[in-house]
Amino acid sequence: MIFEEELCGYCGACVTVCPLNLLQLFEFKIHKKHGCNTCQRCVRVCPMGAIKGELADEI
Amino acid sequence: MKYDIVVVGGRVSGSIASLYASKNDMNVLMIEKHQEIGTPVQCAGGVSKSFLDTLEIKLSPDIICSKIKGAKLHSPQGDYFTSTNEILHGYILERKMLDKSLAMKSAEAGTDIMLKTHVKDLIINKGRVEGVIARNQGKLIEIPAQVVIGADGIESQIARIAQLNHGYEPIDLVSCAQYEMVGLDVESSMMEFFFGSKIAPGGYVWIFPKGEQRANVGVGVRNTEKAAIHYLEKFISRFNATKIELNVGAVPVCGPSNKTYGNGILITGDAAGQVDPITGGGIHLASICSKLAGEIAAEAIKNEDLSADYLQQYEQEWQQKISKNLERSFKYRQIFDKLNDQDLNKLIQFFNKNDVESLSTLSLWKLALGFPKLFKSLKNIL
Ligand SMILES: Cc1cc2nc3c(=O)[nH]c(=O)nc-3n(C[C@H](O)[C@H](O)[C@H](O)COP(=O)(O)OP(=O)(O)OC[C@H]3O[C@@H](n4cnc5c(N)ncnc54)[C@H](O)[C@@H]3O)c2cc1C
Ligand code: SF4
Ligand code: SF4
Repeated sequence: MIFEEELCGYCGACVTVCPLNLLQLFEFKIHKKHGCNTCQRCVRVCPMGAIKGELADEI
Repeated sequence: MKYDIVVVGGRVSGSIASLYASKNDMNVLMIEKHQEIGTPVQCAGGVSKSFLDTLEIKLSPDIICSKIKGAKLHSPQGDYFTSTNEILHGYILERKMLDKSLAMKSAEAGTDIMLKTHVKDLIINKGRVEGVIARNQGKLIEIPAQVVIGADGIESQIARIAQLNHGYEPIDLVSCAQYEMVGLDVESSMMEFFFGSKIAPGGYVWIFPKGEQRANVGVGVRNTEKAAIHYLEKFISRFNATKIELNVGAVPVCGPSNKTYGNGILITGDAAGQVDPITGGGIHLASICSKLAGEIAAEAIKNEDLSADYLQQYEQEWQQKISKNLERSFKYRQIFDKLNDQDLNKLIQFFNKNDVESLSTLSLWKLALGFPKLFKSLKNIL
């Protein structure tokens, strides 16, 4: 998973769908914990297309 | 630092919950992670006419951008139907000013407000929530409280930590992108909605006029390959207008959480999924529910009973007020989900041919028989 911080609009949609609760949205920063299972749920809901799922890797 | 009630989140739900808690003589702290209340905006600002009565607070005229008298519904093939039905009457509000003014009212009633402070965790002792742990100016601080109210929106960590809401399924969220635009030739009293699988799969495009050729133009989509912003850019390419603000967000459209209370804790607003599943409107419902949250938390403290048993009154009361409407909206959403572009084209044509606004329910049913697929969905659902 690639996270393009420059595209992020800080809305929290990705945070709420992550089944492992790995994402936390600070004021203007996303914090990502390790352990991503590449389920791509966050990719599906991001209004900005800021998370790309093509490359399976730790987010 | 010790409070009767700590409210997490400082927008519409947080400000109203804290306002009513403070009005009931509580010592209240509201915590907001942003450095400014109300931004970045994640809203189009549309509310029904009755919202101002529910709010029981007089809003300054600058917050009300326009008065809405109806809507134009555009079909995928480009026809449209105009309705001025009373249920569409309402206002488009300047949301960031609404949030700030509600926070000011709450502060006037005695609420303390902490900005740029991120609540990281709950203090939980023997199954009871007894406060929050927050990060403020680079330090972690513990803030004990008798009751915590989670008004922290769609991303709610409070609801998750308290195991009241486990987050949403992607299919249950409408992913939205919106530009506020100027130089748009739109009628200032009519909202516009555009439907179709090419325009907004699983959702719709809205234009909410804010007066003087200014409007919020947004799109909500569900479970799509491409992001909402892609559909928005495509839609606005038809206009020769200028963007002045970008807003993004997501709206839960699956109905409210199963449980909204626990020992020493309540959740409200988007954190509790209190959003209309068909319109995606949450401002009005949040204000009804968060007022109850503030009042019932205060009562619990006065009665020295912070147990889940006592606090469940909150859930009973908000359910009494809004559940029926939410259930109906959810059914309508299920019908909407089943309609394809052809059905939508036919429906708008049908609305135009028949004076829908003056038809009785029975005659609508009879007419619906002419739309076998729609009729089947209605029969299955209703
Ligand atoms: C694009 C879009 C358009 C919409 N249009 C409309 C509309 O026209 N009409 C309508 O009625 N509704 C609309 N809605 C829905 C509406 O915006 C929400 O239902 C409403 O904002 C819910 O208010 P809230 O106070 O519960 O949550 P929010 O407005 O999300 O506020 C939550 C607050 O909590 C803060 N917070 C979160 N976590 C923490 C933490 N850990 N620590 C401290 N603070 C925290 C956030 O920063 C935020 O300020 C729209 C939504 C979207 C996304
Ligand atoms: S892809 Fe990874 S970060 Fe995204 S929702 Fe799934 S587990 Fe969470
Ligand atoms: S969903 Fe996308 S835009 Fe929203 S916070 Fe996550 S990465 Fe940013």
